Amino acid sequence: MKKESHNKPLFESVKLTTISFVYAYRSNILGLIMGITFGFLMSRAGATTFDYHAEMFLFIDMQLMKVIGTAVVVAMIGVYLMKKYHVQAVTTGMEVDFVKKPYQQGLIAGAFLFGIGWAMTAACPGTVPAMLGEGKISAIFTLTGLLLGTMAYGVLQSFIANNGSYADAFKD
Amino acid sequence: MEITVWSGWLAGLAIGLFVVLHFWLIGKPAGCSTGYGNVCGYLCKNMSYYQQGEYSQRNNTKLWFLIGIPLGGLLSALSSPEPWHWSFDMGMYDEILPQSSAAKAIWLIFGGMLLGFGARLAGACTTGHALVGGAMMNPPSLLAGGVFFMSAFLTTHLLFDL
Repeated sequence: MKKESHNKPLFESVKLTTISFVYAYRSNILGLIMGITFGFLMSRAGATTFDYHAEMFLFIDMQLMKVIGTAVVVAMIGVYLMKKYHVQAVTTGMEVDFVKKPYQQGLIAGAFLFGIGWAMTAACPGTVPAMLGEGKISAIFTLTGLLLGTMAYGVLQSFIANNGSYADAFKD
Repeated sequence: MEITVWSGWLAGLAIGLFVVLHFWLIGKPAGCSTGYGNVCGYLCKNMSYYQQGEYSQRNNTKLWFLIGIPLGGLLSALSSPEPWHWSFDMGMYDEILPQSSAAKAIWLIFGGMLLGFGARLAGACTTGHALVGGAMMNPPSLLAGGVFFMSAFLTTHLLFDL
């Protein structure tokens, strides 16, 4: 098949390429911007500072409790208003999907293990990457552990799905 | 590493508005720990669980969200008065954690494994369950959020009080 070419000047060609690239990857680009905002806010809220975690659970300084309390109340009002006025999402063009995480077997056990990990590392999956960006060496180890733990769950699930047979668990 | 920290009310207001903004722009609840599954899918090509279902399309918003978080942390550190540098200082935790760096690293990797495994077993992390799930008043999320706090509360007291 003959390759089609265009005779547009360089500037316009670059412009059109950029526009179509941004359009094609708009949801990923927005996700990246949202991630940057999230990391920045977590850091400014003090969620990446070790002492605030210990101080919250020891009732010395309730900084993080104020943060999560205010955030949940503000978000609750926002969610209520968005539901009431049937707001459309920017990237999908459809009504915002307030999909709720279902109850799953092992939720309580998982949440219990998660809490122990939280107290041991003073971090949670959302703050570890932000800590890494701040230059905290501990985040490298916590992140390694996080990936290993997620991997272990994948191994377990693949194992269960294949009726306990190693042979088929790692075939695609 | 000293980071400028806003007052709790202001930061909470900003994060609450962030959650709403995320709903409006992306159209789905914000979440962090699911993105780690996407990374595992890339790291381990032949592990079937992270290749199918919600992980069949791995190059998605959740992965890019996760990639953005360290950049946000970097921006926050660069705009703080103290210059950016690597640091292994853990504040209050230095007193109760193992003293040698290697033992501290093993402790943190083990804690991280509990976070990763626990988050997948519970279905989401503090962001997905406590923050966004709490805002949607989803009963399983409220339960999970409560257990997160209870268990971290107990463990912190075991670590600091005994």
